Amino acid sequence: MSGGLSNDGPGRIMTSQDELATRVLAGITSQVGQVLDSVARVAGVTMAAIQAAQRAGRPPRRADLAALRPLVAEVLRRHQGFAAGAGAVLAPDLLADAPRCIEWWWAGQSSADHDPVVAKLEVDLDPESAEFYDYTTTQWYREPQRTGGHAVAGPYVDYICTHEYTFTVSVPVICAGTFAGVAAADILAEQVERIAAPGLSLMDRPAVLASGDGRVIASNTGAILPGVLLARRDADTRLRPVTGRAAAPRGHPDPALPWTLHSHPA
Amino acid sequence: MPPPELTTVRARALFAPLDEGGRAETVARRLDTAIRLGLLLDGERLPAESHLAVQFGVSTVTLREALATLRRMGLVETRRGRRGGSFVRTPQEPPPARLARPLRLLSLHELRDMGDHRAAVAGAAARLAAERALPGDVAALREHAGRLSGAATLTARRRADARVHIEIAAAAQSPRLTRAEMDLWAEVGDLVWLPVPGDAVAAIASEHAALIDAIAQADPERARQIAEQHVAAETGRLIEFRLGLPETDQPGAGHVGRPEQ
Repeated sequence: MSGGLSNDGPGRIMTSQDELATRVLAGITSQVGQVLDSVARVAGVTMAAIQAAQRAGRPPRRADLAALRPLVAEVLRRHQGFAAGAGAVLAPDLLADAPRCIEWWWAGQSSADHDPVVAKLEVDLDPESAEFYDYTTTQWYREPQRTGGHAVAGPYVDYICTHEYTFTVSVPVICAGTFAGVAAADILAEQVERIAAPGLSLMDRPAVLASGDGRVIASNTGAILPGVLLARRDADTRLRPVTGRAAAPRGHPDPALPWTLHSHPA
Repeated sequence: MPPPELTTVRARALFAPLDEGGRAETVARRLDTAIRLGLLLDGERLPAESHLAVQFGVSTVTLREALATLRRMGLVETRRGRRGGSFVRTPQEPPPARLARPLRLLSLHELRDMGDHRAAVAGAAARLAAERALPGDVAALREHAGRLSGAATLTARRRADARVHIEIAAAAQSPRLTRAEMDLWAEVGDLVWLPVPGDAVAAIASEHAALIDAIAQADPERARQIAEQHVAAETGRLIEFRLGLPETDQPGAGHVGRPEQ
């Protein structure tokens, strides 16, 4: 994380609480923004592969997406310890040889001196099957489809894929003005908390990072824990948003992450 | 890069390394569960023994012992040769008489204890879901709950039922409770639905609906109460059913051999 506290010399009150809050939000926004940048690259390569096939006058096939694996491996290496998995998910019936398609990989177990092993995700995509995984109903798929912009879904318990408390960030793949799917990455909620916690702990009053839905992501107080809905605790805690919405991640034209920082007014 | 060795992610969860004291029996039980839940598919080739041993965190000798048990149970078939290996054999949905046999091996004490555990998990998950679920979570719950009425077989009903309870635990924002529900459902399997006649499905579906209503109304105590009663009723049915089973094998009841040692 960049953007630690500045050293303004001894004996001075260096940072107001609001400023601290703003920095916490900026720090986590920058981290998530970098993952969104990588996801946008995955979307770009997916789009290029689809369009190359279409220019050749044939419908795209699964094999056309071969460039995704090395790219996703690189992305997972770049965000090692932060992004747990990444890939692209295609709109139904886009490919000639796969009615539904998930090209998704995990960062496997890694040790200090080894790159993460990348493992392919296999899920049941047969609508007739009892174990059918319908990705088109997920927030991280629907939202970019609807808005044309990126989405930050979660935190939610992802019992299909990571088995953990997870965020999924996604951007649409758009080919010639038509929605063709999304590129996305999973970020474990504990990793987001790990990054936000040190800054929150510097604040001298209760403060929490909350999602756009008002769900607590990270907190510096045992009175309001991650996972709870802030609105249902408001009567007890009287926390107020002390920052606006996070600034847009650098290089991203979309508006900000939908996250806010809540605390007592100074 | 080695090819991925397992077919589904959910199977991968079952292959998590075993805790201290993990033995052939535990490995066999995990694989048995994965096969019976359909996480490992019929005809699927298991990863190499050495690889599986590493994944379970056991020695190759222990793993072979586990595979031998599964072979005796008819759940795994080993073929020699270049295209050889160990392959999964999924049992067909067994007739109720055969399905009831493992139930007879469970004491009332075990059934009661399993019911207590399930009620504790389902009750806590329901209470927390009522505190923490967003409208989107509730909508997903209703969608899953709606599938129970259309489910025609025992297995399909169990799957739909399990999915509702797993989704409630997910709405509670707890990965641990979610895993606990998944483990418990893997353990009880189709047994829960064995004593339920087809015309009683609607009543159970309406219990789900009442439970989801309480979650939607953000009423934690009521949600917990309904969930606990729901599981207690299920356990009661199972125990009554168990009591109605003969204690010894009846001639001609389709018995095919002693249970495996």
